[in-house]
Amino acid sequence: MTAQIEIENIDKHYGAYHALKNVDVRIPQGQFVALVGPSGCGKSTLLRTIAGLETITSGKIRIAGKDVSAAPPRARDLAMVFQSYALYPHKTVAGNMMYALRLKGMTRKQARARAEEIAQITGLDGLMDRYPRELSGGQRQRVAMGRAIVREPQAFLFDEPLSNLDAALRVHMRAEIRKLHDRIGATSVYVTHDQIEAMTMADHVVVMRAGVIEQQGAPLDLYDHPVNRFVAGFIGSPAMNFIPGQIAADGRHVVLDLPGAPRLTFDGRRPADEPVTVGLRPEHLVPGAGDNMLTLPVAVVERTGSSSYVLSDTTPPVMIAASDRLQGVERGDIQVTIKPSLVHLFSQTDDLALSAR
Amino acid sequence: MLRDERLSQYALLIVALALVAAYLFPVYWMYVTALKTGNEITAWPPTFWPANPDFAAAEVWQRMQMATYLKNSAIIAVGVTVIVVVLGTGCGYALARVRSRWMDVVLFSILMMQVLPSSLMITPIFVAFSQVGLLDYPRSAVILAQAAKVLPFYVVLTRATFVQVPKELEEAALVDGNTRIGAFLSINVPLARNGILVAALLIFLQSLGEYVYSRSLIQNRALQPATVGLQSFMGPNTSDWQGVMTYAAIYVTPIILFFVLLQRQIVSGLTSGALK
Repeated sequence: MTAQIEIENIDKHYGAYHALKNVDVRIPQGQFVALVGPSGCGKSTLLRTIAGLETITSGKIRIAGKDVSAAPPRARDLAMVFQSYALYPHKTVAGNMMYALRLKGMTRKQARARAEEIAQITGLDGLMDRYPRELSGGQRQRVAMGRAIVREPQAFLFDEPLSNLDAALRVHMRAEIRKLHDRIGATSVYVTHDQIEAMTMADHVVVMRAGVIEQQGAPLDLYDHPVNRFVAGFIGSPAMNFIPGQIAADGRHVVLDLPGAPRLTFDGRRPADEPVTVGLRPEHLVPGAGDNMLTLPVAVVERTGSSSYVLSDTTPPVMIAASDRLQGVERGDIQVTIKPSLVHLFSQTDDLALSAR
Repeated sequence: MLRDERLSQYALLIVALALVAAYLFPVYWMYVTALKTGNEITAWPPTFWPANPDFAAAEVWQRMQMATYLKNSAIIAVGVTVIVVVLGTGCGYALARVRSRWMDVVLFSILMMQVLPSSLMITPIFVAFSQVGLLDYPRSAVILAQAAKVLPFYVVLTRATFVQVPKELEEAALVDGNTRIGAFLSINVPLARNGILVAALLIFLQSLGEYVYSRSLIQNRALQPATVGLQSFMGPNTSDWQGVMTYAAIYVTPIILFFVLLQRQIVSGLTSGALK
């Protein structure tokens, strides 16, 4: 697959502030890439540098093989969906969709025909002569999408496009955007702070923090093999438990720093007595007795019907997520087991994952 | 208790009406005097409504050459407005987009420029204009001087409007394939339209009433605007008060009508910047 967007070692400074640090991403043709991270991590800045709305201090950006590092936005042939939608308030839905086409030199008639065609796909037919202020939030969102699709650009850029919608509509639009992507097959870059959005929609997830790419890869790869404690805690919901511990003398067990000092087996071997942080995903702690077992005092049990959450009465508290109702668990102790291959170990000095394999 | 509130409301209303009456009295007196004839104008006690209303508009228009004066006023006002809108709109936009801690200082110094009174500025302007030979084109000289004076006011007003146009709209236009100028003209200007119109209107009306520069820079009677013309009819020996007031009424009535008809738009343009 050829790379549609290549971002090579770019840096971005705002005065003394270093917003993007040596960012390097390759986006193959037709892929859906999510940029995800906490607010202020540089994901929106990265998207804006791709769009050409921000200049880069050093590095290179190539779109469809062409170096556009210093090119203005209009020379990049990208379409962008903004968080606020940025619909032109003085233009109708049709006018919004035709704006870019008219700039490309299409006649009014051609542009209108093309806009009508896209309106069919996005479910906007019948709304073409309305103004943005006369539309609901969901409809505005569709217009923003339609305005991007109508252009047939080299790639789509999305800047948190769903964050202004209510929860139910958000889930619906999430699936719709993904369906649209599969249908059109255009390269997409999607910025979000919501890791669920990133995990569910993207082929390739880029996790950022403080201007640095912490890890990138397929969604489940990030879930299974986080390279450091930040990515491990950011990906997955509810978040991974982090418990301090120490490698036992045999190098094959880890002793958790919890009451009763339970021991867990992990895959592989580490130097004896090494202090570590143990990462356990709540959904990997399976209630019941067995091998590799952990006994925890119960503090709170929450039941949502489809799943149950138990919070242990320890420091730090341990979260357990189970898909059954855990009848009978109220207080007292709960026993959980975990597979050795699902135990994550992180260095206490630099938070990097300790390759146990 | 409720009664007290209502009473105080009425009291405030009466005070407000009294203030409005005091403020509008000169306007009223202008119209009434324009309708009075000869002795009635100087009669004591004065009459508040003319006994034989007589509005000599046509005669005054002819005798005082109002057509020429009003034409000059219009030329000056239109000239000033065009220059200010062309130069000031871009300036207001640029100041709206620059984000800096120093912006308050910049705006303050811009406003300072128009605080200086015309009567103070006219001497240096006169000297400078005569040196570069601009006094040979006196109406153009007035247009330039007046445009320079009102430009800051326009810039500050339109800046407030442009601040309210979200930056993303312009960015969307850039990504959609437009140039910066193109985005400015097709997105920012239409969205700031009301604010620009109101500011331009205020500049136009202010320039229509310009006096100090015209009085000093224009010697030729045929080129003088209505304000200077009106003044030339007044003096220590003026007796034709009816003529002067009729002149003033003809001059001012269109402006007042304009304001009354558009007052809602003007107020909303001044306060909200015309964009929600």
